[in-house]
Amino acid sequence: MVVFSFYIFDRHAECIYKRQWLPRPVSITAKSSRPVSEPSGLSNGSPAVFGQSARTTDDDAKLIFGTVFSLRNMVRKLGGEDDSFVSYHTSQYKLHYFETPTNIKFVMLTDTKSPSMRIALQQIYINLYVEYVVKNPLSPVEHPGGLGVNNELFEQSLEQFVTRVLS
Amino acid sequence: MAVYSLIIINKAGGLVYQREFQSGLRKLSTNDYLVLAGTFHGVHAITRSITPKLPALPPSITTGSSSSSTPTPLPSSTQSQSQTQTRTQTPTSGPAFTLPNPGIPTTGLEVLETDKFRLTCFQTLTGTKFLLFTDPGMVNIDGVVMKIYELYADYVMKNPFYQLEMPVRCEAFDRHLATWLRGRA
Repeated sequence: MVVFSFYIFDRHAECIYKRQWLPRPVSITAKSSRPVSEPSGLSNGSPAVFGQSARTTDDDAKLIFGTVFSLRNMVRKLGGEDDSFVSYHTSQYKLHYFETPTNIKFVMLTDTKSPSMRIALQQIYINLYVEYVVKNPLSPVEHPGGLGVNNELFEQSLEQFVTRVLS
Repeated sequence: MAVYSLIIINKAGGLVYQREFQSGLRKLSTNDYLVLAGTFHGVHAITRSITPKLPALPPSITTGSSSSSTPTPLPSSTQSQSQTQTRTQTPTSGPAFTLPNPGIPTTGLEVLETDKFRLTCFQTLTGTKFLLFTDPGMVNIDGVVMKIYELYADYVMKNPFYQLEMPVRCEAFDRHLATWLRGRA
């Protein structure tokens, strides 16, 4: 199973964390071994490392939020307020969605063969997000621009979770 | 193992057919269905465009000559800066990225799963979309969709009075669809 990317959106529709795991040529990985979660915009140095030719990852996050937001509302209309959208897939990728009662949205893009990741996203929320972001006394209540989420402990453990547990 | 309802959306995103096959479904107004069709049409296009693109490994990268330049085309903002870098690289012939499932054409949303239902979307070559709402555990949905497409071709497209892209009002289609689905269940 391959995980392509992971996003967290807060209740103000802002992307507070994004991370991509696209396999990159070996010579380039050395440049940014640390997880990338720029608070606002990408650094000018390497905007195209993810192979998105025209769009930046910021725009991608906005498109993904728009998609899951529309689908969530559509599903609620059709299935009732207690129904929730779990995942969708196209011929190329699969998108997994998990929303907490506080309207924090976790989104993960994987390959089409992966099983349901609802439990995994729940684990990320309970074991990583709550532990390292919410319980951090220095972390703000809201996370404008990813402030407080991009701490080392959270990023490292997320990295470990995705590379060791999921693949 | 049940088919809940069927929606057909034309290539412009307009609702042309909507039918329920099971009683007890939530009642939505006609306006809601029109909004749903339009929304889905838009989301379908976006889901295709957010397909992850994996950077391709160009054969020249293995020589280890370029340590800082990226093999992918850079956006216009850094174009001038990258000009010198790309020129030093040996020109690569293939595309700058590969898709996760190379060889398969990129499509939009195909299957949407929720707690209570599963939505299967089939897009024909001409852009018409068939949305089939089924039980989450149902198997062989593709077969059902194909049969519905066949019935659509036979009783809607071959109907001389049917105007393209307009709402489907073909009694024979309704009848055969209901009969076939009932016979299946």
